[in-house]
Parts: sequence; structure tokens; C-alpha cells
Amino acid sequence: MGKTSIRIKLITYFLILLLVIIVVIETVKRITGDFYLAQGLSVALAMGIGTIFGIIFSRSLTLRLNKLSNAAREISDGNLTRDIEVISEDEIRDLEEIFSLMVKHLRTLLLDMKSVSIKIHETNSNLTKLAKKLLESSNDIDVTAKSIAKSSEDQTEIVRNTTIKLESGIKAMDELVNQSSHTISKVDEAIKKTQKGETNARETLSHLETVLKEMGEYSQPIIKLPDKVEKIKVVTNVMEAIAQKTDLLSLNASIEATRAGESGKGFAIVAEEIRNMAENSKQSSQAITRLVEDILTDNKFLKEFLVKNQRDLDKGREIIRGIVQTFGDMLYGVKEIFSEIKSMEESTIRQAKELRSFSDKFKELASFASQNYKSTQKTTIVTRNQKVEVKKIVSAIRLLDRLSEKMIETQQLFTLPELPKESKENPLEENQI
Amino acid sequence: MKLFVFKSKDEFIGIESDYVHRIIDDSKVTQVPLTPEPYTGLLYHRGELFDVINMQLLLGYQADGSAEPNRIIILKWLDKKLAVIPDEITGMIWIDDEAESKNEYYHENHKIRLIRPDYIWKKLSELSYGPHKI
Repeated sequence: MGKTSIRIKLITYFLILLLVIIVVIETVKRITGDFYLAQGLSVALAMGIGTIFGIIFSRSLTLRLNKLSNAAREISDGNLTRDIEVISEDEIRDLEEIFSLMVKHLRTLLLDMKSVSIKIHETNSNLTKLAKKLLESSNDIDVTAKSIAKSSEDQTEIVRNTTIKLESGIKAMDELVNQSSHTISKVDEAIKKTQKGETNARETLSHLETVLKEMGEYSQPIIKLPDKVEKIKVVTNVMEAIAQKTDLLSLNASIEATRAGESGKGFAIVAEEIRNMAENSKQSSQAITRLVEDILTDNKFLKEFLVKNQRDLDKGREIIRGIVQTFGDMLYGVKEIFSEIKSMEESTIRQAKELRSFSDKFKELASFASQNYKSTQKTTIVTRNQKVEVKKIVSAIRLLDRLSEKMIETQQLFTLPELPKESKENPLEENQI
Repeated sequence: MKLFVFKSKDEFIGIESDYVHRIIDDSKVTQVPLTPEPYTGLLYHRGELFDVINMQLLLGYQADGSAEPNRIIILKWLDKKLAVIPDEITGMIWIDDEAESKNEYYHENHKIRLIRPDYIWKKLSELSYGPHKI
């Protein structure tokens, strides 16, 4: 339906009026035939109708404007519940529509403002909770950071002490490696000496075997000597027997010579000489016997000595064999020790290397711990700053909250149609910081 | 005068050489029971029996085994005969005739006791017989 402006309406009304006048004039003229009457009647009719129309038209305009005025007044009083009735299709309608649109926009704005306030309040509430949590978290972080800082400090100290101990351990390991190297050279020397000792012992054994063989050969005459000496003894016994017989004979000869008297004196002297000779011979043979006995005793002693010597040499040979065996065992043992010490040295070097790497890692750890300590210090400062910032945020939230309260208060100055069900009744009463 | 000297224990005994008949060795002496201790036994030599006397025991010394049993001095005088066992026979020495009557004689710083064969018989007869040896 198209719009009808007041001007067109007025023109339409005028034309209708004119048409009515014409019709009345024509009708009166026909009826009466009086043109003037017809004209007077038409003028009076036109004036009456015009006045009635004028009154009706002005009244309808005034009424609508009053309605708008009342609506504006109510709006200014904050009542936005009233709707503007749009009836006509004229220019007032535009005003009404614009006014209605303005009210609608204002209502929307207020509703939006309220919704925003509620949302701000809710957000503030959430932000407050978050700020609280953040503050608590900051406190926790601060405490944790302090604890971490303390732990890091302790850790740094422990790591430093451990590093010192590790350094000492590495030094000890290095010394051990040097010692092992020294021991290896000593063991190597011991192997050489043991080998030399074994060779010497073998040579000694060989020499001893030769000496034993030669001794066996040389001792044969000594062993056979008693037989020969026994023969000498037999001979000396015979000689002694002869000497005794001669002695006896000379004695009897002396007796016989004595019995012969003066003539037997010469014979007695001869007999005496023979007796002396027999005595000498006897003494000589006795001396030989004694010598032979001495030789036999010495030989016996020598034989015993030889046998003992042989036994001792056999023992010596056994001992040297044992020594050779021992040297062999020693060599085997020393070689095993050498191998063990070598592997120990390798292990020690490996351990020292690992310990050094461990120490480097510990140094890194110390550096990390130090960095950690610094970071935690920084964290502590940052959390303190954060706490200050959070407090600022809280202040800002409070400010915002007050603003939102003000907005709501402002919005409450207006009466709005009933709010949608999702909005809360009084959100500001909750979550006071 | 010529003196036959022998030794018993440490004592030199001298007997006039005229009494000495022979000196023998390696002779078997047969023991006789119930005779005095110095009486060693009987000796059979060249068809004759001789009483054998151990001089060491006769002179009152203890037997020490030093007596030479292989040397026996055979004494003969008048119709008597005797055999004595000395420790050691020294030999013959010449002495002055005046010394014959003496009991002792010194030769080269050694004291020689002069005895006669009768002395031996006399000494033996003074000893008691008994079962001191079987």
C-alpha cells in the first residue's frame, strides 16, 4: 500500500469538497433553478464541510502528534515499553516510524548495554577468578621457584662438590692409570727377569746334570779306592806279620846268642839289629795301617760326603727342577697378571674417560643448575611483577565492574520489555573481589 | 849279664836271659779248672806241656786285656819249666853282674824289677785255688 502524503490528502479532500459543491450547486440549481442560491448553498456547504474537514484533519494530526509527544515523554522518563502505533500513510507516519525505530534501537541498545554489562560482569567475575587463580598460581610459582632456586642452589653446591670429587676421582684414576702403566712396565720387566731366571735355572740344571755326571765318573775311583786300600791293608798285615815273626825270630836269636856266650855276642847284636829292623818294619806297617785306616776313614767320610753330596745334588736338581717349574708357573702367572693388569689398565682408562665425560656432564649440569637458579630468580622476579600486574588487572577489573554497574544503573533508568530468559537477575551480587 | 825285659801293666820285669828258653806265638792255651786266676792254662809246645801264667794278674793287677796272649815266654831252669804271658816284650839288655843280686835295676830312667822263675812259682803257690773260673 503506497504512502499518501498530507498534501495529496489535502488536495484530495479539496477536490472532493469541490466536487460536492459542484454536485450541490448543480442539484440545487436543477431543483431550484436558482444559481445564486445554489452558489450560496454551495459556499455555505463548502465552508461547513471545509470547517468539519479542517477540524477532523487537524484533530487527527494533533492527536497523532500528541501521541508521539506522549511517547517521547515516556521515553524520556525511561519507559521504553510503549510501542508507537503506525496507522496512516502520510508524513507523520515517517516520523512515527523513525520514532519507533529510534525507540527500537534505543531498546536494543539498552538491552545490548545490559547484556554487555552482564557479560562484562560475568567476564569480570571470571577474570577475577582467573586473577585469583593467577595470583595463587603466581604465589605457588613463587614458592616453587624459591624452592627450585633453593634446590638449584643445593644442586649447584652438590654438583660442585661432586665435580670436585669427580675431579679428585679422575686424578686418582689418572694416577691409577700411571701406576698401572708403571706396574705393567714392572711386570714386563718381571716377565723378562723370570724368563731370564728360567733360562738360568735351566742352564744351572743342565750344569748340575753335567756336574752330577762328572761327579759320578770322578767318584768311581773314590768308590773303588777301599778295595785297593783293603789290598794294601792285606799287604801291610802280611808285612806286620812278617815283622812280628822277624821280631820273634830276632828275640829267639838273641836268646840263643846269649846262650852261646861270648861267641854269640856278635850274633846277638845282629839279632838285635834285626829286631830293631823288624820293629821299624812293624811300626812302618802299623803306620801304613794307620794311614790306610785313615784313608779308609777319609774315604768312608768322602764316600758318605759324596753320597750326601749326590743326595744334596739330587735334591738340588729336584729343587732346581722345582725352580724351573716354579719359574714356568711364575712366568705363566706373571703373564696372566700382565694380561689382567693390561685389561685393568684399559678398564681404568675407559673408566677415567667415562668419569671425565661424567664430570663434563656434571659441569654441564652445574651450568644448568646455575642457569636454573638464575631462571628461578628471574621467575621469582617475574612472578612478583606478575603479582603486581595481576593486582593492577584486579584494579582494572574492579574499575570495569564499577563501570558495568554504572551502565546497569543507567540501563535500569529505562523500562524495557521483559528480558530474554537467559539473562540473570542480579549478576553483580556475585563474585565480589 | 844279659837281662830279658818285658812289661806287665806299667811295670818293667827283668829275668835273667839264661832262664828264657824261647818265645813263641799263636799258641793255643788250654784252660784248667779250679786253678788260681793268674794260671791261664796249659800249653803244648813241641812235645812238652807248660804251665802258662798271666804276669799281670800274678803281680796283683786287674786284667785289662792288654796282655799279649799271642806272645808267650817259655822259661826253663834246672828241671823246671814255665810259660808266662807278658803285656809287651821289651828285649834284651846288658846289665852289670853286681846288679844280679839286687831286686831293682834302672835302665834309661826306667825301673826294672828283677825276678827269678822260682818267684813266679812261689807267688803262684801262695794263691788259693778255687772256683773263680771254669
